[in-house]
Amino acid sequence: MNKKGLDEMQIQKRNKIGNEAFIMIMYFLLIDAGLYGFGFRWIAYPANAITILAVCSGIYAARLIAGNAYAGPSENEKKPVLKTVFTCLASVFMAMLALTLIKTVRINDSQGINDLAAPIMLISGAIGIVVSVGISIIKRIQNKDHTE
Amino acid sequence: MLQKDLADAVGVTRQTINAIEKGDYNPSINLCIAICKALGKTLNDIFWEDDKNE
Repeated sequence: MNKKGLDEMQIQKRNKIGNEAFIMIMYFLLIDAGLYGFGFRWIAYPANAITILAVCSGIYAARLIAGNAYAGPSENEKKPVLKTVFTCLASVFMAMLALTLIKTVRINDSQGINDLAAPIMLISGAIGIVVSVGISIIKRIQNKDHTE
Repeated sequence: MLQKDLADAVGVTRQTINAIEKGDYNPSINLCIAICKALGKTLNDIFWEDDKNE
């Protein structure tokens, strides 16, 4: 059997979760567009899409970890702490990069982005923490399920 | 043999073996054959359900 990557059950779960996450993003964006059509703006333009994508990506990652479809069989031997730390750092870095790019390109009102930088960073950090806590809790629960 | 040992032998996670045992997941024929080879049994011995083997 292939020992690299995910096994067959994990691949099935990942595909299912990915499809649902994709549909969820589409519906959130449609709801956002509908609210905008009714004149309700919860956040200015670039930040709303970024927030929706960040939230849905976080949910996708959390569900992958909860469903044990994030790390394959060969990854179990490695320490997940380093991977978790790198995931958190990467998520914060990506948020900073997105903010920098938006401010540099000046797609919209950059002052509005400055106002939203803190919440977006907070959300990214919170997602990272949720992912890391989720990993540790789920690992403990799954390791308790040992049977012969 | 522990679930972990069997999982390592066939290249899947322990959770996959657990799901197969509980009937929550139907493995592919390739995985079934790999499990049979690892355990030294036939497909009938492990996966065929009758009065004697459920």
